[in-house]
Amino acid sequence: MTTAYPLPSNLSPATVANTASLLRIVALALISGAAIASRLFAVINFESIIHEFDPWFNYRATRVLASQGFYEFWNWFDPTAWYPLGRVVGGTVYPGLMATSGVIYNFLHALNLPVDIRNVCVLLAPGFSALTAWATYMFTKEMKDESAGLLAAAFIGIVPGYISRSVAGSYDNEAIAIFLLMFTFYCWIKALKQGSALFGTIAAIFYFYMVAAWGGYVFITNMIPLHALVLILMGRFSSRLYVGYSSWYAIGTLASMQVPFVGFQPVKTSEHMGALAVFGLLQIVAFGQLVRSHVSSAQFQKLLYASVVATGILGTAVFGLLTYKGWIAPWTGRFYSLWDTGYAKKYIPIIASVSEHQPTAWPSFFMDLQFLIFLFPAGVILCFRELRDEHIFVIIYAVMASYFAGVMVRLMLTLTPVVCVASAVALSTLLDTYIDPKEPDTGDDTKSESEATVVSASGTNGSSFSATPTPTPSKKIKKAAAAAAAPLPTSGIISDLVAATGGPTRRGEPIKTKGIFGMDSRLIVIMHTLAMLSFFVFHCTWVTSNAYSSPSVVLASTNQDGSQHIIDDFREAYYWLRQNTPEDAVVMSWWDYGYQIAGMADRPTLVDNNTWNNTHIATVGKAMSSTEENAYPILRKHDVDYVLVIFGGLIGYSGDDINKFLWMVRIAQGVWPDEIQEPNYFTPQGEYRIDDMASQTMKNSLMYKMSYYRFAELFGGNQAMDRVRQQQVPKVGPTLDYLDEAFTSENWIVRIYQVKKEDLLGRDLKSANAFGQGKKRKRTKPVPRRRAIV
Amino acid sequence: MPIWSSLPFFLLLSVVSTLASSPSFENTAVVRTVELGGAVVHVTTTYAIKALEDGSNVYTIAFSPDERKKTSWLEAKIKGQQNALPIEERLFDAERDYHFVDITLPKALSANKTTNLVVETILTHATHPWPETAGQKDDQALKYTTDLFVLSPYSTTVQRTKLRTLAPRIISFTEPKGVEDFATEGSASKSGATIVYGPFHNLPPSATQKFIKTYQQPMTIHYFHDQPVLEILELKRAVEISHWGANVNTEDEITMHNAGPALKGHFSRLDHQTQQFYKKPAPHVLPAINLHLPAGIRDTYFYDLIGNVSTSRLRVAPSLPKNKQGSQYSLLELRPRYPLLGGWNYTFTLGWNAPAADSISYDKSTGRYIVEVPIMTLFPGAVINDAEVKVILPEGATDVEFSPPFPALENRISTHITYLDTSGRPALTFEYKDLTLKHAQNIYVSYKVSFAAHLKKPFAVATAFFSVFGFALIARRVNLTIHPKKKAL
Amino acid sequence: MRSLFALLLLPFAFAAKDPQQQLVDLSTAGNGVIKLDATTFDLLTSPKRTWSAAIQLTALDKRRRCTPCMEFDPSWNMVAKSWTSVPKEQRNTHFFATLDFDDAPTVFQKLGLSSAPIVYVYPPAEGPRQPANGKTAPSKYDFSTGFEPGPLAEHISKHTPIPVPYKDPIDWARWASMAVGGLGLLFVLRFISPILTNRWTWAVGTVVTSLIMTSGYMFTRIRNSPYSGGGGNWIAAGYQNQFGQEVQVVAFIYGLLAFSFLMLIMIVPYQSSPYRQRMQVYLWTGVIMIIYSILVSLFRVKNRGYPFKLFL
Repeated sequence: MTTAYPLPSNLSPATVANTASLLRIVALALISGAAIASRLFAVINFESIIHEFDPWFNYRATRVLASQGFYEFWNWFDPTAWYPLGRVVGGTVYPGLMATSGVIYNFLHALNLPVDIRNVCVLLAPGFSALTAWATYMFTKEMKDESAGLLAAAFIGIVPGYISRSVAGSYDNEAIAIFLLMFTFYCWIKALKQGSALFGTIAAIFYFYMVAAWGGYVFITNMIPLHALVLILMGRFSSRLYVGYSSWYAIGTLASMQVPFVGFQPVKTSEHMGALAVFGLLQIVAFGQLVRSHVSSAQFQKLLYASVVATGILGTAVFGLLTYKGWIAPWTGRFYSLWDTGYAKKYIPIIASVSEHQPTAWPSFFMDLQFLIFLFPAGVILCFRELRDEHIFVIIYAVMASYFAGVMVRLMLTLTPVVCVASAVALSTLLDTYIDPKEPDTGDDTKSESEATVVSASGTNGSSFSATPTPTPSKKIKKAAAAAAAPLPTSGIISDLVAATGGPTRRGEPIKTKGIFGMDSRLIVIMHTLAMLSFFVFHCTWVTSNAYSSPSVVLASTNQDGSQHIIDDFREAYYWLRQNTPEDAVVMSWWDYGYQIAGMADRPTLVDNNTWNNTHIATVGKAMSSTEENAYPILRKHDVDYVLVIFGGLIGYSGDDINKFLWMVRIAQGVWPDEIQEPNYFTPQGEYRIDDMASQTMKNSLMYKMSYYRFAELFGGNQAMDRVRQQQVPKVGPTLDYLDEAFTSENWIVRIYQVKKEDLLGRDLKSANAFGQGKKRKRTKPVPRRRAIV
Repeated sequence: MPIWSSLPFFLLLSVVSTLASSPSFENTAVVRTVELGGAVVHVTTTYAIKALEDGSNVYTIAFSPDERKKTSWLEAKIKGQQNALPIEERLFDAERDYHFVDITLPKALSANKTTNLVVETILTHATHPWPETAGQKDDQALKYTTDLFVLSPYSTTVQRTKLRTLAPRIISFTEPKGVEDFATEGSASKSGATIVYGPFHNLPPSATQKFIKTYQQPMTIHYFHDQPVLEILELKRAVEISHWGANVNTEDEITMHNAGPALKGHFSRLDHQTQQFYKKPAPHVLPAINLHLPAGIRDTYFYDLIGNVSTSRLRVAPSLPKNKQGSQYSLLELRPRYPLLGGWNYTFTLGWNAPAADSISYDKSTGRYIVEVPIMTLFPGAVINDAEVKVILPEGATDVEFSPPFPALENRISTHITYLDTSGRPALTFEYKDLTLKHAQNIYVSYKVSFAAHLKKPFAVATAFFSVFGFALIARRVNLTIHPKKKAL
Repeated sequence: MRSLFALLLLPFAFAAKDPQQQLVDLSTAGNGVIKLDATTFDLLTSPKRTWSAAIQLTALDKRRRCTPCMEFDPSWNMVAKSWTSVPKEQRNTHFFATLDFDDAPTVFQKLGLSSAPIVYVYPPAEGPRQPANGKTAPSKYDFSTGFEPGPLAEHISKHTPIPVPYKDPIDWARWASMAVGGLGLLFVLRFISPILTNRWTWAVGTVVTSLIMTSGYMFTRIRNSPYSGGGGNWIAAGYQNQFGQEVQVVAFIYGLLAFSFLMLIMIVPYQSSPYRQRMQVYLWTGVIMIIYSILVSLFRVKNRGYPFKLFL
């Protein structure tokens, strides 16, 4: 028995085990620390602030929950949203997130730790990312062993694909959902392996939590049944599967129906039907098994298959009928658009208009997952090599998630965990192979082999790597025995392949003793792996700090001297609204800013980011894209007091309303096709321009006027330049008759206009204005007087 | 000690003393100088007095009710001396429409002895913008109204009133009428930034119904003012003392209001930027304000309801311990999110930490800690309408004593529970009205803290942790499985 | 021939019948589509029309090289054809017409049109069906939904007395082929079942799928971006954009890297001769290094700001 490098032989297994578990705990603690720390860039560079758009609503709701208690929150009707409709918040949110931070908040206050609710919200996501790392560790441990688990935890701790949605301040459902996802899957695997109803129940409970937290729970609702179905089809039905699935489904479904926003969907919509069908199928198969134990197996097979097929057909028929009758709702738009990718663009432009619903190009994959993305297939192959039930789960997950991630950028989030798991399995297998000190040799008996394995285990855990003794040495011994039992093979790549692919699960096939000769091959591979890992760390740090850590509320630019300059226009304008306008002043803006206005300016808004009412949004789009005369009645009807537009032309902020304008036009056109037509907003050459060549419709549209009102004057005589469009703005800017400029932020990013009340003398405001100006001019210079009078 | 914070308080305290039946003084000359400002008007009245009989040491001055209402500070001194004279207001009775205040002179004057008495008062909310609205580019003009004659229970030989404005641009002022029998030549004259009423000769005792009926008349002056008129509607100050951190944390919640003429029309960023570009900002626009914070403060924070205000700048002066004197200040250039135009509001929170040594001293003999707490941060030229100062002492502080520089409207002791407190901390609350620069003084609080009280918190925390560990220890070792677990298949 | 017939018909028409009747005849003659020229155009769009009309202005002549016109014409005719099936009284209150540029360039000038195809829908100017808002100006059809007949029919239905009874023709060939294919599959299944039950076929399937997906295939599908940029550049500029060819290259790179890892894990350890094993270790490590650095440099092309680079 030769080893590549000496091993401490005088270690008792107990010592080894204890050291290993200590190392594990320390490693996990460090990983959690890294996961949290790497998400704090935003707080350090800027401040502890809520990011983006949706989080502002969650934050607002959480404040209500924390200040007025859960009951008030539960039936909270928010009259300020969707003015004049209002919104029943309690029934239209996934309360999991708010409830979570509410609980944390109250707990801390019970300990006399007066933490501000905002800080709880800001730091929730990083905190849960640590839990996610732990859950991933547990999950991967079931796939391979602790060493792989630790690798996976480290990966998911710092991988940008997950950080992108869980930096401090991005207070969104995904923040806690991924932890719940991974933990539910872990419990499911446990339940499946042990056939324990307990774990099935725990899975169900966490599934319920997931349902309460994120709309993406449907992913679980379909993943687990799919897994079960595949297992059945592979003839791997077992009482464990039966127990696990039944307990999960029964409890989970009943629990999930307690969330008001979900209600009876689990039994009424297509997204949930798969789970139900598989549940039914399981019962049948189980019954079949029962019968089998009484009937002779010969005719039983036929019987079983016949019955299964029959029920399958029957089930689909019934399902089809129900759908046809309308008792089961067909796929809802968002989910349907995953399969029929053209659907959203055609029928639900609002969904299509959201940037995170765009398909993913390969650079974003590499950006978010770096070298995991190509370790991932290797890991999947390894799962195939040793095809236990849980590996099948990973395989299905891999296929599904990679498809979804390809279709929608935001679903990269669901892909990330499985990528981490699979690549961790691959990498740790690699390291196990090359750190294992055992030199291969021929012909040896089981006993020494087993020692060898134990020694190898003890040897590996000493190294800084997460390799630790395998939980079940006995299994390994068996493998080794199998290996040893093999006769001497013929060399040649084919037989290698066979041997390799054969894996330890097959018995009695020619398998050669495996192992690495000499130190150098070991060292080069290990060094190489280390290098890749460290590169990965650099990559993650860079991506996180540069791409994913800016709270789009506050913009940062650098001065000439390189110092950071903060552009704070949004909050400036919102706070002005909050301080200097009446409490009930209705603000109209494009729906992106609805939540922010509600959260920061605390004023009623017409539309917000919860885009449930297409017509209402289209109304705003119409007002923005039609002329002042046509827009004014709309504004007055919805008693709008202020109109807010975002304009980046001065400092080149590209995410402004002029760039989003076409979506407003499209959405409005969807409802009023013969009043708003997209082509009219392009030049005859079909270009989208804002300069002199812009089409009349464009120039007369409210949005254009509000954006460029008095913009040219700012350049005092010189040619005014729009820094976003890189076009020259007409020297004579637009004039406004029905609106007054009320406030403009420091860099002109936010412009707020007040809607005039009807003219007291009952004139239409246009002529009233003309009259007024005529009066003024009369005093200054005589020439226009004639014009004024005529 | 000048005690003059509010009327009701004094109605409680004031002692009824009868007006001297025969006047014991006469005023050889009374000169009143009014420094016109925005929210704050500074009035200095000099009485050259002559005693008519021996041993008369209580001199009485009088105010009209309106003036009394606006007065937020009064101090009387002998000219050229530092220490203020004790003053005391008489009970106001309804049929007189003027208030009497008695000033006790340091030593009684014998007959025909003279002395000069300087009475300083500060009026708040005494001016109002006129016109009440102004466009963004317009000027800012204020109106101030006062009475022509200084009231006094004694006869006055010569009396003069000067009104001085900051900018030498006075739009109009009222000409007094029906004063021929006092004034020889023109009774009002204007020179530059100053308007002089008088001199008026040989006035009878003016604090009488008859005189006021016949001669007293309001004088209104309308003038341009180049600084924005700033009012602090509300100031909530919380000062928290921590012995563990050797730290005093001060936090002000401030509601600002620009009391100048309300903005006519709308705010145009373009015009604003043009004004700034040409370095001539409109007088009623407040882009930023400079505050003097104590020296040696640490991690200052400045945020409002929606987070950090990234636009303010701070220059910190080095710390100076309590006993040695020094007049350095940390300068905070406080810039609101948006320029504060006429009638606009802005609320924010400003806080900082200061080393405890700067404000706390320990008295070995009595074993008491003595801490000095400034009542307010100085807002130049501004008036603070309502102020609430809350001093939070360390946990377990006992026999608390305090002495405010001038009595508060109301003060109470409550319990305040914060970081990991078991039994809360004693908190003193003082409430004031109409504070001005003169009121920027210190409250002195002294208390005892036993050694055990110091140890309370770490002990509590330690107990909590140990109980958690203990629980874990037990939970780890208890086996609740019903039957020995089978190996996973 | 058809147009000729129509032209022959014209003079009588003008002589005798009222304009609507003429149009009816014309449309029946052109089985649903009136072939317009300048005069008939004026007739059809006369200011006191009691009927509505949908007019396709196009340039079908080869010399005009108007490919969109060619694409659009058939679906137009299909929709028009479907209109002929509605009962007479409704049918005669709405007409489909085609105006070719070469027949009446004057009309194009009059309408100030520079491009084709264009579809105008003229609402009736008089009579019972006159629109409530009194807008009698023609409305233009927006081709943003493409040239399919379905949306077109929907759009026109808004102006016809009854909806255009257009249905997409059933693609029998497709269904048949699918059916045959299915049956064939079932038949073949018996022979290839061992292959299907082999895990490695599934493994390859899975891995290939996820490789294709993770190299942005769906992006090219949904955005239907071209296979390559032409002029030999096959890398689309921009971080959020890519060409069809990139999918293949990137997928191949990923695959190769994954494969070399698998070699290191699964094959190399089974080498019996130390020499061969060492060679393979060096080989595959080298392959990984090189390919990986290629990948990174490729990424640098896409994402300019990326600071890191490997050997090349």
